[in-house]
Amino acid sequence: MTTAVSRRPLSADEVTRFGAEIDALRERTLADIGDADARYIRRIHAAVRYTEILGRGLLFFGLFPPAWLLGTLLLGVSKILENMELGHNVMHGQYDWMNDPRFDGKTYEWDIVGTSDNWRKTHNFKHHTYTNIKGMDDDVGYGLLRLFPEQRWRPFFLGQPLYAVIFALLFQWGVAIQDLRLGAYFAGRMSAAELRAQFRPVGRKMRRQLLKDYVFFPLIAGPFFLPVLLGNLVANGLRNLWTFMIIFCGHFTANAEVFPKSVLENETRGQWYLRQLRGSSNLRGGRLFHILSGNLSHQIEHHLFPDIPARRYAAMSQEVRAICERYGIYYNTGSLWSQFGQVVWRILRYALPSKPVSMEGRRLVVNE
Amino acid sequence: MLVAGPLKRMLSPLVNPQVFDFWASHLSPTLSWERPLAKVLARRVEARDTVTLVLRPNRHVGGFAPGQHVSVTVSVNGVRLTRSYSPSWLGRRRMAITVKKMPGGKVSEWLTECCDEGDVLEIGPAFGDMTQPSLERPWLLVAAGSGITPMMSLLRAAATLERPLPPIALLYWARTRADLCFGRELDQLAARLPSLTVQRLLTRESVLLPEEHSGRPDETLLRALVPDLAAQQAYVCGPAGFVATVRTLLEGAVATCQAEAFSLPDVSVVEGQPVQVTLARSGRVLSVPAGAPLLAALEARGERPAHGCRMGICNTCVCGKLAGTTGDLLGGGLSQEPMGAMKLCVSTARTDITLDL
Repeated sequence: MTTAVSRRPLSADEVTRFGAEIDALRERTLADIGDADARYIRRIHAAVRYTEILGRGLLFFGLFPPAWLLGTLLLGVSKILENMELGHNVMHGQYDWMNDPRFDGKTYEWDIVGTSDNWRKTHNFKHHTYTNIKGMDDDVGYGLLRLFPEQRWRPFFLGQPLYAVIFALLFQWGVAIQDLRLGAYFAGRMSAAELRAQFRPVGRKMRRQLLKDYVFFPLIAGPFFLPVLLGNLVANGLRNLWTFMIIFCGHFTANAEVFPKSVLENETRGQWYLRQLRGSSNLRGGRLFHILSGNLSHQIEHHLFPDIPARRYAAMSQEVRAICERYGIYYNTGSLWSQFGQVVWRILRYALPSKPVSMEGRRLVVNE
Repeated sequence: MLVAGPLKRMLSPLVNPQVFDFWASHLSPTLSWERPLAKVLARRVEARDTVTLVLRPNRHVGGFAPGQHVSVTVSVNGVRLTRSYSPSWLGRRRMAITVKKMPGGKVSEWLTECCDEGDVLEIGPAFGDMTQPSLERPWLLVAAGSGITPMMSLLRAAATLERPLPPIALLYWARTRADLCFGRELDQLAARLPSLTVQRLLTRESVLLPEEHSGRPDETLLRALVPDLAAQQAYVCGPAGFVATVRTLLEGAVATCQAEAFSLPDVSVVEGQPVQVTLARSGRVLSVPAGAPLLAALEARGERPAHGCRMGICNTCVCGKLAGTTGDLLGGGLSQEPMGAMKLCVSTARTDITLDL
């Protein structure tokens, strides 16, 4: 899977200058943040509400197939927007500067079966601090898939094309149990009591979500119980597939790298930026595509600047790309289909055994 | 209102207040499940750089006594900011605030220049002890600049009292005549209330009208304007320097003295000098070096705030700042506003601060 992409380690001095340029871009952008960003997130919030009420409203006429189809799609779009551009970005603290309780990163609770508190830990802290570090970033394969030759092969992985499809269809459930450390429980390293305690808030959220989509809304539709229930099921499924695709394309494309824990030793700010860049990949597309992906199509910029409003990433990506060119750093971007093709290839390829690849001595920086 | 009393209590487990507010605001901008909001009904220029806003509060806006302050929250350039103003009741379900534009003041500038009819402000709970003085003794109200607003609230309320009023002397300082607020209203009040005398004092006006005075507050001037000083209940409100001066002059010379100053942003202290961090929830007060990363400094004092990456990316250590000036280690900026969310790991205390921990 090696390509002609340059993996030249930068000199310590180059990394420092590179980091300073990225910092300067951050400062410039932060200085400009204001009313336009606030208006934007309020509009996204309104769009979530409008599409939800329209979608749910149309589903009440779900016996009429076009109404069912449109209602399901609108509800799906609403859930995708709420999940990606609203929930995900708000929970990163991107809009904390507004001082508005509706967009407070610490307290926002999103519309998926996983709790926001667990997500803030697995995603905001673990994934964003230890991006693509094997053994520290749980998102590398989610403890379920082998996506890099650096991960040790076990016969279990032979079934991963199947696990991947199930995981994609049930993605929000995967997110919900990610922090429960079921692996530790099955290996006997966690007691049943401990697991029960951890499961309590997760179970509450799951019950709430299930009641809302599969009991409450179908029931108030009365005789149209079934079409409403099916519409909600499909809308949730669409969102699962979409978020799985966007997230996997962000880190598991052909040229995305995985790192050993040793990179963390005395990691400087410049080195941290460099690791974020080399572990992430972008998706090309139009404005609507970027909004529906929560701007995670700009995964590189999101990893460099997780707390800057995501609507800024498109403009920032131009500058990040120019900076990368100056330092000869590979900027990983492609169309959704080409990047997703690479993801599928990784899922299929690393289901099979491969020559173990050692990460010993893999470095981002050389000291001269 | 749309949902009230028992119905609201019954519905509350089912309702997400934010979703309710989103749809309710389509019906009326101040309709809300629980937020205290007020709609601007009218705005009029009161004096130079000074505007009075007439507001219609919703039913979540609490009461206030004349002379008290409420916090007013507005959104300026996308950021919600809060300042205190002294409101007055103007009959039922109408209140007024008078705002003077402060140099560099984001909220006062927005309220005086951008705020217009139909806008919605959030009105916090009332606070302050300068409520109606006893009717048994004469009142001495000393105001400078915007310090007139709580006095106005007290006078408007006094004018509605059924009982006889004691002598009331209002000493009102401003720079020039154009800076004086409530000109005609004060004259009308003085005409209606025989016990009220209004003295206007101008510090930067070259030619004075017969009833105007000049000069800064000093003992001679005060004794000349208020003959029986010893009998007075004095209330003082104005900028910090003015209040400090008048307070020194009055304390001991009058029967009682209450004073309130507009707080000015405190000055940043020297790097490394100890500052006090008050943890509002636990009630602890710790001393940390100014300019040091707060998370590490709090940990060194035995606190264990939630934290994650320690580099300002994961948002785990965010907590609210209730008061004081903080610095940002990444951006280098200073913040003097109370904020809902501040990352402890990349923030420093630049003055004494209060955290929501």
